[in-house]
Amino acid sequence: MEDFIYISDSEEDFMSDRDSVGNDDVEDDDSLESDIKWTATASSTKVITRESLLVAQREDLRRVMELLNLSEQHARTLLIYHRWDVEKVFAVFVEKGKDELFAEAGITEKNCMIKHAPAAMTCEVCMEDIPKHKATTMDCGHCFCDNCWTEHFIVKINEGQSRRITCMAFKCTAICDEAIVRNLVSARDADLAERFERFLLESYIEDNQRVKWCPSVPHCGNAIRVEDEKFCEVECTCGVQFCFSCSSEAHSPCSCLMWELWVKKCRDESETVNWITVNTKSCPKCHKNVEKNGGCNLVSCICGQAFCWLCGGATGRDHTWTSIAGHSCGRFKDDQEAQAERAKRDLYRYMHYHNRYKAHTDSFKLESKLKETIQSQISTLEDQESDFKDFSWLTNGLNRLFRSRRVLSYSYPFAFYMFGEDLFGDEMTPAEREIKQNLFEDQQQQLEVNVEKLSKVLEERYDLLDDDKLKQLRMELINLSVIIDTLCKSMYECIENDLLGSLQLATHRIAAYKSKGVERASELHVWSTKESSSISCLQTDSSISATVGGTVEVGRSSSSSPDFESGCPSRKRAKREALGNALFDLNLPAEVIDKS
Amino acid sequence: MVDCARIQKELVDCNKDKGISGISITLDGDEFTHLTGTITGPVGTPYEGGIFKIDIQMPGEYPFEPPKMRFLTKVWHPNISSQNGAICLDILKDQWSPALTLKTALLSLQALLSAPEPTDPQDAVVAEQYLRDYPTFAGTARYWTETFAKRSSMGIEEKVQKLVEMGFPDGLVRKTLEMVGGDENMALEKLCMG
Repeated sequence: MEDFIYISDSEEDFMSDRDSVGNDDVEDDDSLESDIKWTATASSTKVITRESLLVAQREDLRRVMELLNLSEQHARTLLIYHRWDVEKVFAVFVEKGKDELFAEAGITEKNCMIKHAPAAMTCEVCMEDIPKHKATTMDCGHCFCDNCWTEHFIVKINEGQSRRITCMAFKCTAICDEAIVRNLVSARDADLAERFERFLLESYIEDNQRVKWCPSVPHCGNAIRVEDEKFCEVECTCGVQFCFSCSSEAHSPCSCLMWELWVKKCRDESETVNWITVNTKSCPKCHKNVEKNGGCNLVSCICGQAFCWLCGGATGRDHTWTSIAGHSCGRFKDDQEAQAERAKRDLYRYMHYHNRYKAHTDSFKLESKLKETIQSQISTLEDQESDFKDFSWLTNGLNRLFRSRRVLSYSYPFAFYMFGEDLFGDEMTPAEREIKQNLFEDQQQQLEVNVEKLSKVLEERYDLLDDDKLKQLRMELINLSVIIDTLCKSMYECIENDLLGSLQLATHRIAAYKSKGVERASELHVWSTKESSSISCLQTDSSISATVGGTVEVGRSSSSSPDFESGCPSRKRAKREALGNALFDLNLPAEVIDKS
Repeated sequence: MVDCARIQKELVDCNKDKGISGISITLDGDEFTHLTGTITGPVGTPYEGGIFKIDIQMPGEYPFEPPKMRFLTKVWHPNISSQNGAICLDILKDQWSPALTLKTALLSLQALLSAPEPTDPQDAVVAEQYLRDYPTFAGTARYWTETFAKRSSMGIEEKVQKLVEMGFPDGLVRKTLEMVGGDENMALEKLCMG
């Protein structure tokens, strides 16, 4: 397949292992093939699995290491400081120079002066006299005893500060050497050392604007990396579709803020509460909510307490139609009625939009079942003697229906906030709002009509139809699909340019309309861990340039690796084994791979 | 567990030159988890002549975590809460380094008394006064120093006399004064509340 990904830069050439890559994507079924075309765009969006995290990170590390001629750990420190923005690192380098770039991030290059340390010293932290071999000097030149260093690292790791553990000396901003942290901590607490490794690795996800965890529950373990556009919707390989910007479900054309508010509004039943406040009053005695069922403003609760409906105060029982004996609260009347009126109007407005949103979401769920029905109809048709061989038009129509149904349902919460007071009350005059609302609703209505038509057409029993009827329906379907796609596009244009684009006080950005649906992230193919270690060993005793690797499926580590492993430097191997089955191995610095 | 050996050394080291530095630390009980520090108000500031007590709680991870410090003596200062003595000082938070000691921390507090940082306030009311009306601030700070940070400014008998003249019974006055540590204002407050 062509859609696997080269993660290499110019120095390396990965060779695809056809057997292992091909299988995932090949489908025998024609109909599924077109399905794949529908969602799997050859995208720049990548899935980063637990296995490929190291490689993903290494791409960026290597770029920085090569350009600035740095060790891996210093490159990591720089990138963590600049939130994995390689361009930013280079920009700062050009603008402020190497020294400042390093100083900001806390990188100190080895100080030559410190080699002549005395045989014994006093550790300034525990204030004990320590022989030289039990003390460690960091690159910044500060020397403390190993015990104190270890304690310091443990406290910092437990505080969740693994990514930036600074030197213990007062006002020293130097970041501690990763290798020293690793060695000292693992001698005391192997689990914690492993956590340190994980924190460092996951920094690539958590401190990185371009990478987000997939929000699936239970978590699939993947993260998604996008190239440029932060406002987009992606599909993880686990099947979950989400908005990259806010990590909630895909909600375009709603903006993230609109969606957040909408979900909250729907969830906390604030409208029910609203209804209760409008239509009931709580009894001053038993505090039950009382609904007025007619009559005058003297209400009596089932507990027997009489109270004034206007002010809620307890009263006596003598009354006329307009007044209650010894009780007057008339001057609050107007205000309260206006308030109740407003709440009522808000409630109706919300219900209008919510009903339509809900209706389309429900239709979407029902129509999802159509997929199977149509699939089976297609297979029946394919077995029949017929002029038709290709039924991709049918699945395409179905996908168009799903796509547009989604757009339609999310367009209602969008309209609720776009033309409501909550977010943009000050953005438009009522007259402007009305014009814009009409413009938008016209488009929305047109789309709605056509989507319903499409839905109807797709409910035909295609397997029972003759060829002429099929031809006719095919034309109809294709036409409708094209119309709907165009309508969606122009509705998005209207939203992006005329509505959200003209906002003065706020910025709302939405994921652009993708005719083909939510982009499915492609796998970032990597070597499995074993493979990569074997490559590094291979590299040490072969030429620099041509690394031969394969894209290997997870869990299918190459059987050829033991041959290479025997060539591993023993120190590295020992460490690897100590880490057990850990998937990542930071003990193999990238420079081993790069430079032999 | 607190590193007792280090704290012990720190105590010895600090109390060696307390005459010069104006800083001393004493143990509160037998445990090394709770100490009391004392600093003198810096010369040339509204705090001059005052003796300020500081409550020090030692976290289990000390010195890898900063000690928790709080003024016991009431003090009028932009970076110290006039209510509860909480201190806003970076080295007691994220700028702490294990190479610092209790003595250096107390020295920093002393430095904070002479150089307030009203732009990063703990007590907004005090900070605002400091920026808007420095003379009034200095006056209040001096008054608080006189009232709360000077043990010998007024003999206990004088205080008792003053309160008795206001109409409170002698025995109750003595008992209340004792309860609030000899602070006549606080005693008065208590007496008024009954």
